[in-house]
Amino acid sequence: MPVFDRHFWIVVVAGGLLGLIGVGLAVLGNPQNSGICISCFLENTAGALGLHGNQRMQYLRPELIGFVLGAVFSAAAGREFRSRGGSAPLLRFLSGVFLMIGCGVFIGCPIKLFLRLTAGDLTVLSGLAGLVVGVWFGLKGLAGGIHLGGGRQDPRGASGLWVPLFFLLLLVLLLLQPGFILFSTRGSGAQHAPLLFSLGAGLLLGGLAQRSRFCITGSVRDTFLMGRRTPLIWGLAAFILAAVGTNLAAGRFHPGFYGQPGAHLDYGWSFLGMLLVGWLSVLIGGCPFRQLIKAGEGDADAGLVVIGMLLGGGLVQAWGLAGTAAGVPLYGKVAVLVGLAFVAANSLLWRERVAEA
Amino acid sequence: MSRLLQDHFDRWHVLVLLLAVFGAAALLLTAGGGGDAAARSELNRQLEQDVAYRARIDFLQDLYRPVLDLEKSGARQQALLKLEEISRRYPGEGYGFIIKGRILLQLDAVEEAVANYVDGVRLNGDFADRQGPFSAWNEINQLVSRQLPSFSERARTHPDNATLKRVLSNLHYLQSRLAGGCE
Repeated sequence: MPVFDRHFWIVVVAGGLLGLIGVGLAVLGNPQNSGICISCFLENTAGALGLHGNQRMQYLRPELIGFVLGAVFSAAAGREFRSRGGSAPLLRFLSGVFLMIGCGVFIGCPIKLFLRLTAGDLTVLSGLAGLVVGVWFGLKGLAGGIHLGGGRQDPRGASGLWVPLFFLLLLVLLLLQPGFILFSTRGSGAQHAPLLFSLGAGLLLGGLAQRSRFCITGSVRDTFLMGRRTPLIWGLAAFILAAVGTNLAAGRFHPGFYGQPGAHLDYGWSFLGMLLVGWLSVLIGGCPFRQLIKAGEGDADAGLVVIGMLLGGGLVQAWGLAGTAAGVPLYGKVAVLVGLAFVAANSLLWRERVAEA
Repeated sequence: MSRLLQDHFDRWHVLVLLLAVFGAAALLLTAGGGGDAAARSELNRQLEQDVAYRARIDFLQDLYRPVLDLEKSGARQQALLKLEEISRRYPGEGYGFIIKGRILLQLDAVEEAVANYVDGVRLNGDFADRQGPFSAWNEINQLVSRQLPSFSERARTHPDNATLKRVLSNLHYLQSRLAGGCE
């Protein structure tokens, strides 16, 4: 355990604050166990922009805006903002769509998976197993030669600026609330923490995540590769401990399989949904949260994943693919299987094969 | 900055950029005082959404008023018949299921009542919200807290009984919806 390393402590602080604030935002008004959920928030944002008609899921979540802009500020302050991109754009865009399908079927992104688990929701165990297996599949793929190509530096252009500018526009729309932006008056979209607190929390966590490179699937991936030597696993441990502690302190720890908020009992589909998320995340270099942070650092490839996730959030709701407490709808199951076929096919197509002698 | 203004091409594009940005800003800033015409032409989907929701509330209250009147006067069977009539015309409306669940519960038909509450909440999550004009949170919560222990016990002692399993599954569904979350 590299305890004397500065980076180690930045990761631990980032993980701990993510757990603390993740639960705290739910205490302050965000939906139960969804203090931070990238996929739910993107579905809300897609709804606010009119990409779907579920009137219970429409809100421009300030946390998302904060994550991206916090990463921009942090990257700019550390002189790490680099406009770059150009590797497998359409693959990354579609990966963003399928990431949201996997998360939608499970009901939550990898961060929410752990927030649900630390609130006592034991139905996520199958999703956790799926995520770990998916990351392992992804690692096997990378070891087998799958390479999407590195994003090229973009010295003249500014393609990496457009996603941060888009989120800046979202901030303006959130503050001005023009008539074409939709805000739920009921349902989970209407449940939110105070705007300034959410935005501040997003900016802080976005900055810390940029500095630390903290990522849920990255933590699992690096643990497979390096065991306890990777700081990320300690960041994940800090996240879990902080979230459990905050849930206990807030009286929100209710262990069990039944009556859990935003959960279903289709364990097999939870497993497959998260397997898809874990597998894709390793291949494209990070979970949904990490993609937002990388987009804030000027990575246009990650930015394209984010735009894909936004469209995916709209599709998941508009087509009724998302899991609910009643279980996973038929087309949601089909979409997950199509997603797995998509990853498998691209794993074959993008594999760099060494010519046999 | 000087590199951006090297030649006519650059200067022309910078000029267009500045004109477009300032023009858009000016439009936005002056739109507030643009009078009735500007206000009427404003795209306002939020207003449309809110009006449609209010209209729906009023419509449903009118539609189900005869049923609720019959229920209040104790004529539950007639209320159920009236509900059947409405549900044939509007099969996708969940409010009828909620009212039917409530009446069936009064008639001690617990299993059917639970199934109707589930159908209603599946069609519209508003019924499982704590607040709102059609909130059935309190009655569903009472139903779940009263019936769940007994059905859990009965399902445990009769593991082969498919009906008990289905009712228990429905009660767990309602319990999850009452707990909230983002879905």
